[in-house]
Amino acid sequence: MTSGGYTEDGFVGEFQNGIGWYCYPTPRFKTITLHAFWINELTPQDAAKGALLPHVLRRGTRRWPSLVAIERELEELYGASFRAEVGKVADKQLLSMHLEVINGRFLPGHPDTLRQALDFLSEVSSDPHLGPDGFDPGIVQQEKILLKRQIQALINDKGQYAMSRLVEILADGRRFGLRKLGTIADVENITGSELLDYYQSVKTTLPSLLFVVGDVDPSRIEDYVHKQWQGFRQPLTPIIPFVPRHDGQEVIERQAVRQGKVNMGFGTGISAADPQYPALMMYAGVLGGFPHSKLFVNVREKHSLAYYAFARLDAPLALMVIGAGIEFDDYSAVRRIIDQQLEAMQAGAISAEEMAFTLKAFCNDILSEEDSPSQIVGRQLEHVLVGNGMTGRRLMQALERVTISDIQAVAEKIRLDTVHFLTADGEGQGEAQDG
Amino acid sequence: MAKLEAFERPELGEKSYRHRLESGLDVVVIPRPGFKKTFATFATRYGSIDNHFRVPGSDLEMKVPDGIAHFLEHKMFEKQDGGDVFDDFARLGASSNAYTDYTSTTFLFSTTSEVSANLEVLLDFVQRPYFTEDNVEKEKGIIEQEIRMYLDMPGDRLHSNLMRALYHYHPARIDIAGTVESIRAITPDDLYRCHNTFYHPGNMLVLVIGDVDPQAVADQVVHNQQNKQFLRQGDIVRIYPPEPEVVKERRVEQPMPVAAPLFMMGYKDHAAGMTGPAWLRHEIVLGLMWSMLLGRSSALFTDLYQAGLINDRFSARYSGTDTFGFSNLGGETPDPKRLEAVLTERLAQEPLTEEALERLKKREMGDFLGLFQNPEDLAYAFNHFYFRGIDLYSYVDVVASVRLRDIEEARARHLVEDSRALSLIVPAQSAPGA
Repeated sequence: MTSGGYTEDGFVGEFQNGIGWYCYPTPRFKTITLHAFWINELTPQDAAKGALLPHVLRRGTRRWPSLVAIERELEELYGASFRAEVGKVADKQLLSMHLEVINGRFLPGHPDTLRQALDFLSEVSSDPHLGPDGFDPGIVQQEKILLKRQIQALINDKGQYAMSRLVEILADGRRFGLRKLGTIADVENITGSELLDYYQSVKTTLPSLLFVVGDVDPSRIEDYVHKQWQGFRQPLTPIIPFVPRHDGQEVIERQAVRQGKVNMGFGTGISAADPQYPALMMYAGVLGGFPHSKLFVNVREKHSLAYYAFARLDAPLALMVIGAGIEFDDYSAVRRIIDQQLEAMQAGAISAEEMAFTLKAFCNDILSEEDSPSQIVGRQLEHVLVGNGMTGRRLMQALERVTISDIQAVAEKIRLDTVHFLTADGEGQGEAQDG
Repeated sequence: MAKLEAFERPELGEKSYRHRLESGLDVVVIPRPGFKKTFATFATRYGSIDNHFRVPGSDLEMKVPDGIAHFLEHKMFEKQDGGDVFDDFARLGASSNAYTDYTSTTFLFSTTSEVSANLEVLLDFVQRPYFTEDNVEKEKGIIEQEIRMYLDMPGDRLHSNLMRALYHYHPARIDIAGTVESIRAITPDDLYRCHNTFYHPGNMLVLVIGDVDPQAVADQVVHNQQNKQFLRQGDIVRIYPPEPEVVKERRVEQPMPVAAPLFMMGYKDHAAGMTGPAWLRHEIVLGLMWSMLLGRSSALFTDLYQAGLINDRFSARYSGTDTFGFSNLGGETPDPKRLEAVLTERLAQEPLTEEALERLKKREMGDFLGLFQNPEDLAYAFNHFYFRGIDLYSYVDVVASVRLRDIEEARARHLVEDSRALSLIVPAQSAPGA
C-alpha cells in the first residue's frame, strides 16, 4: 500500500583529526535534531567530573547567564527540547548535548531555527557563564548535591539497579563496569577549579562529534563544525570487548522487593564489527528478542512464570544479558527453563518459523529506525564508536544469509559468566499499606 | 468505494481522512509520506474505570472485578486454535502490542511491510474473543507478575497512592491492572460480557498512520466488516458513584527501599465532566497554568531547584477525562515538608504575566507540531481526543485563544485546599545506603 517510492536516505559527513560531523538530510521530519558528543574514556578519575560538567554548563552562558534565561530562550524557540547529559557505551563515557527544534518551514514567519539551534549549541558548549573564579561556586555546589542524589536514587528502579549490579560484577574492576555517574565520594571531592580545568581539556582534546537529522543542507553543518571546532582532537580508541572471568557464579542479593529479578551475563566473543555478528543477532533474537522467541514463549506463555523474559545484546561490548522478573520461589524452575532454551540453541533445535519470524522482526526494526531521528543518530554513533559493522540494507542481507549451523557456531562461543538474583529480604517482603 | 471526509491544515503540512461505517466504527488515516513504518491502532473507549455499567438493550446492571479491562486486553491475543496473535503478526514482519489506561484499550501493530495483511489480522483478532476456564486461569500467573513488577516501582506506587487519597468512590482510585486478589475472581463469562458491550464497533476507532493510500485503507476496513455480524447496540450506560469535592485523605505515606523521599501532590478537579471543545479548552488552560506556575522557566521552579528542594525531573501537569480530572506535581525531594509549605504558599500568589503566557503558547505549539513525526505519540493523542469528541487540529486554535484571565480564573477554581492531597514514598529503614 506504499504510495510512491522513497529514496534511500543516509548520512553524509566525515571524521578527521578527532573531529566529526554527520548529517542525515530528509524531508520526512518536522523537526531538526542536533546531537553533539564529547567522547571520553570511562575512568575512576574522570567519571564524576564527566557526569557533573553537562549539568553545570546547562546552568548558564555568557549571553543567558541563568537557568531561567536559558529556559526562556528554548521556549521562544517554539519549545525546543534540550538535554545536556552523560551516557555510556562499553568503556566510553559520552558527554552530550541534544537539541531538537521545529523546522522553521512549519512556523509563522518561517524563522531559520537551524541557525538559532547551532548558535544555542555554541553558546552552551563553548561560552559558559564564568565569574572571576571560574564556574559559579554556588551552582557547582547545587549540581554536586543533585548528582549525588541521582547516584543514590539508582536503587529506586529495581530493574535498572539489578542490571547495573550484574554489569559491575561481570566487569570485576574493568572500566566498562564503572557507573557513568561516578561515585558519591568522587563527586564530593570535585572542586570548582578542577572542573574548569577538566572542561578546558574536554573542549580542546576529546574526540568531538556532531550529528544532525532533518530537512537541512549538509554544507551548513560542515561549515559550522569547521568554524566551531578548529584544530585537532585525540583519535577515538577502540572499545575493549568483554571477556568472561567467572564460570557461571551465582550472586544473590536481598532487598525489600515484591518481585525477584534474575539477570544472567554471557560473554559472546563477537562484537558488532565481527563477521559473525549477524549470526549472533539471530541467536539472541531467536532466544529472547521478541514475543515469538523461546524465552518469552517458554517462561511466560507456557509456564506463566514471568511477565517479561528477554535476551539482549550489548553489541559494542560483546555481552549478552538474559533477564526475567519472577516469583522468588520460582528461581530454580526459571533457571531450568532458561538452561533448556540455551541447550536447544546449541543443538540447533530452531524451527524454520522461528528463523523466518526473527529475520522479519529484525528487518522491521532496522527499517523502522529510519523514522526516528534519535534512533538514526544512535545507530550512526554506535557505528562510529565500534569503527565498523553493518547497518541498514547490508545488515538485513547478512541476517538473511544466516543459517542454523551459523547460529550453532555462535552458541559454542557463548559463555555464562555471572547470574545475579535480586530477591526478597525475608522480613515481610516490603509489604506496606497498599491493598 | 468508501466515502472519505478530508481534514486539512496546510500551514502545518497536515491532512487526514475519515470514513464512518454504518456500525458506527470510524476509520481515520493520517498519511506520513516517506515514512518506512506504518503504525495502526484499533482502540475501544473502555478502560479501567468502566467497571459498573448497564448492558445496552437491557436493564441489567453489571459490576465487574477490578482490572478486568486490562485482563481482557491480555486475553485477546489468544486464539481458538491454541495459537497466539503475536505469531500472526510476526509471520507478517510486524511487531504488535496493546495497552490499557483509565478510559481506553488500544491494540496496535507497527510494520514496514504487508500493511494490508497486518491490518486484517488486527481487525480480526480484536473482534474474535476466545476465553476458556483454562486459558483465563493461565493468564492470572502472568498478570500477577506484571502487578508485582509495578508494586516494586516507587513512581507507580506514588501515583497509585495519590489516586486513592484523592478519590473516595470514583474508580480512578483503582490501579489499572487491578490487584493480585481482584484478578483471581475474573471468569470467562465476565470477559465475554465486557467484550460484547465495549468492543462493539460503535465504541471503537481504527487509526492508520503511515505512507499509505487512505482510500485503500478505508475500503479494506469496510470489506472486512461486511463479513461480520454485529447486533445493533444502544448506548452504553456507564455508572459512576457521586464523588465528594473534598479528598478522601490529605496525606498518605508508604515506606519503600528508595534513596530519598518521593513527593506527589494532587488537586482533584471539580470542573471535570465536560466533553468536546469545552473540555479541550479546560485541559489546555490548566496545562498552560502549570507551565506558568512551575514550568522550567518559572520563578518558583528556579527557586525550588536552587534551594535543592527539587531536581530537573520535577513536573506538574493536569490530566482529565469526561468523568474525572486531577493535577499532579512532584518528584524527588530531600524535604517533603518544606517543599509542601513553599508550594502551597506560593502557587496561589505567583504573578502570572502576558509575556510568559505568549512564550509558553509558542512552546505548546512546538510540542504539538513535534507530535506529527512520532506515530506512537500521535496515535495516543489522536485516540485520546477522538473519544472525547475533539478535532485534533483545533488544538492550535484553542491554544492561540487562551487569555491571561482564563489562567487566573482556572487557578482560583482549581487550587482549592479541600481538594488537595499529598502522596509520599519514604525510604524504608532496611534500604541499603539510606
